[in-house]
Amino acid sequence: MSLLEVRGLTHRFGGLVAVSDVSFDVGEDEIVGIIGPNGAGKTTVFNLISGIFRPSAGTVIFRGQDITKIGRPERVCRLGIGRTFQVVRPFGDMTVLENVMVGAFARTSHLAEAEAIAREVLGFLYLDHKATVPAGSLTIAERKRLEVARALATRPKLLLLDEVMAGLNPTEVAEVVPLIRQIRSSGVAILMIEHVMAAMMALAERIVVLNQGEVLAMGTPEEVTRDQRVIEAYLGEEVVHA
Amino acid sequence: MSRRLSPSAWAALAGAAVLLLLPLVVRSKFALHNLILVFLYASLAASWNILGGLAGQHSMGHAAYFGIGAYTSTLLFIRLGISPWIGFLAGVALVAVFALAVSYPAIRLRGPFFTLASIAIVEVLRRVAIHWRSLTEGSVGLTVPFKPGWQWMIWRGKEPYYYLTLLILIGVVALTYGIRRSRVGYYLRAMRADEDAAAVLGVSTTRYKLMALLISAVLTGMLGTIYAQYMYFIEPDSVFSLDLSIELVLLSVIGGLDSVMGPVLGAALVVPLNEFLRGVGSQQLQGLNFFIYGVVLIIVVILMPNGIIPTVRRWWERLNGSRLATAHTKGVAR
Amino acid sequence: MRRDKAIGTLMQAIVSGLLLGGVYSLIAIGLTMVFGVVRIINFAHGELLMIAMYLTWLLNLWLGLDPYVAVLIVAPVMFVVGVAVQRGIVQPILGSPASMKIFATVGLSIALQNLALMLFKGDFRTVQTSYSTAVMRIGGLSISTPRLVAFFVAVALAGGFFLFLKRTLVGKALRALAEDRDAAALMGIPVRRLYVLAFGLGTGLVGVAGALLIPVFYTFPTVGQLFGLTAFVVVVLGGLGSMPGAMVGGLIIGVVESLSGVYIAPALKEAVYFLLFIVVLLVRPQGLFGLGRGTEEVGLK
Repeated sequence: MSLLEVRGLTHRFGGLVAVSDVSFDVGEDEIVGIIGPNGAGKTTVFNLISGIFRPSAGTVIFRGQDITKIGRPERVCRLGIGRTFQVVRPFGDMTVLENVMVGAFARTSHLAEAEAIAREVLGFLYLDHKATVPAGSLTIAERKRLEVARALATRPKLLLLDEVMAGLNPTEVAEVVPLIRQIRSSGVAILMIEHVMAAMMALAERIVVLNQGEVLAMGTPEEVTRDQRVIEAYLGEEVVHA
Repeated sequence: MSRRLSPSAWAALAGAAVLLLLPLVVRSKFALHNLILVFLYASLAASWNILGGLAGQHSMGHAAYFGIGAYTSTLLFIRLGISPWIGFLAGVALVAVFALAVSYPAIRLRGPFFTLASIAIVEVLRRVAIHWRSLTEGSVGLTVPFKPGWQWMIWRGKEPYYYLTLLILIGVVALTYGIRRSRVGYYLRAMRADEDAAAVLGVSTTRYKLMALLISAVLTGMLGTIYAQYMYFIEPDSVFSLDLSIELVLLSVIGGLDSVMGPVLGAALVVPLNEFLRGVGSQQLQGLNFFIYGVVLIIVVILMPNGIIPTVRRWWERLNGSRLATAHTKGVAR
Repeated sequence: MRRDKAIGTLMQAIVSGLLLGGVYSLIAIGLTMVFGVVRIINFAHGELLMIAMYLTWLLNLWLGLDPYVAVLIVAPVMFVVGVAVQRGIVQPILGSPASMKIFATVGLSIALQNLALMLFKGDFRTVQTSYSTAVMRIGGLSISTPRLVAFFVAVALAGGFFLFLKRTLVGKALRALAEDRDAAALMGIPVRRLYVLAFGLGTGLVGVAGALLIPVFYTFPTVGQLFGLTAFVVVVLGGLGSMPGAMVGGLIIGVVESLSGVYIAPALKEAVYFLLFIVVLLVRPQGLFGLGRGTEEVGLK
């Protein structure tokens, strides 16, 4: 039994079908990627898994528990799924440390303990030198790491990363890749949406390709990037040789 | 590091000590009366700020809870002879029920819609209080009989009222301080910044909004009873007062929404001057006073959106550099 | 006979309500347009009405001008006042969060109310004209002439305003701005200048409403609180940013108020529509015609 089992996930917004019959698994220590053109339904899948929406049909099973109908993001977080947002949302009035402590409080109600957890996570993500700074004053790369730190402080078993590389230059991307590997090594499975193919190829063990709400292909990075349908729908010829 | 108190906390403690000893030196009834009013307004503003500043839900209808508290304890006292010490508990219970039934659905609305709803709620209550003469005596108001005695929360001198209101203020400030340095405080501030982002971090937004609402409302209701027992007279226009609600917002915004002492500072700046002018008697001078406050509010929003205290704190920190931050609180909420 | 009398009372109440409602609509249109274009909830809108009413009264006191003549001065002056408010207060805080913008308008509201208190004291002022108490009898109903005039002027002005928005270039630019600010800016629409225009126009409309009201109402420093609140009820009922909504909403509220005053209790007539307001907020916050546009910027999601 996998950590996360998604079966037949379907979601409609009014008359529009955003996600249709999507199924895939994520194993305990796996890094699984989701790629696809814009509007393919990737973020909607994240919203469905993390409890922001309730799916029109299908099931989501996490650690053997059916979490499909929960519909409350805070409960899904408590069960062990963390997520970041595509457009980062720091708590601007609070310091970096305080931001991460909000996440840490998911696991403890003591101030000192939350602070300790937060500092540890900040250190892990190379943000400890910015602990006392208001979150609103960070650079975009730092904000991305803060977003991950916050989610990590909730001690998830599965981390959903939504385009964490977006907006980063190649140097910054190269810094984040080993961080994600380290997160996985610490026992957190990762499901990541990404457009930056270099990062995806380096990290993902398996990739799910979504197109117009449906699973177009699924497999190892090599299999997927050679799949003709994927090339036509999303990749284009150049990427294969990148 | 978390145990150490910040400079502003020490200042507050020192101030509290001075105030506790003050009646031994100051005998003037006028001065004590002014301070009692400052304490009352400061407590009201600080209670409002738990919901408005900390949780970011700007109610402009807090007078609803004030009025319910005042009328409940006063009616129980006048009609049934029940001591206000018990009556305020009934008032507080009624406020809690009201907040749950009416304000809580409204607070699910975001931002300005909640503000507008809160105004409408106060206005409805005021008119109902005016209309329901058999219960409230309408616009005539209710007079609290002068029956001195500890059991009736009525005293001849000003000193007992002084200590009662001061202790309540200290209690509310301590409570606010405690909330800010706890999980509840962090969650409220996160929700204020971004509810959805907070939710995916495990924050039950509805539960914490409700918590902030109930604490804020209940404290305000309790203060309604104190007000009634001090002023000996309540009427719909003065307790279910939209102006009072707005004044609480004014005090907190000027003093600083995201701070513990901000509302207290706001009250200390605004109330004494207002009382002095009211004593002088001119309506027009009072108008000038509040005109200035209105202008100050505008200027504060434009120049110091965080209010006086957080802005001053930031200037202070910038003057002292990182030395202060690492030595004392390391970025943790004060 | 009794049934006739009952129907007569009902008709009278409805008609009175509609007449007043027309003026409510005029006041609300200004408010909803400012919201739709500038995306700010102006808590001082009622105070702008108060200024207009005092101004009309002053013109009558000093120059003996009839309100229906004074309106030709009051409306442009209020336009300028609106421009001043936009440039002086709203513009500097356009980037602030929605809640802070509201506090600024609350500050303005406090300042204006107390300015009036300082200048004119708390006394109730009105303008007595030859037609203030004139009444027309139509079909068994007595209709106050100044209220009828106010109604027609309000409706005509509202109609003219709709035409302005639909037909003229400037009007279309305003509507484009209300619909999608970024797209409008990209198309070269001068956003800031239009904000100023919108505020000025909205305040000008309120100016006309003030001049129309003073023959039949009193003005005093806090009159803005009541009318302002009513305007908010109308705007929310009709839908924030929707001008047809403001028109229809005003008439509905006028009738509700009138019927409540007659059939429930005069002291509770406003309470009834405030309750209606709360219900609308809880059940359908986007109002009758609102499409939820722009609500994110004002703090709603």
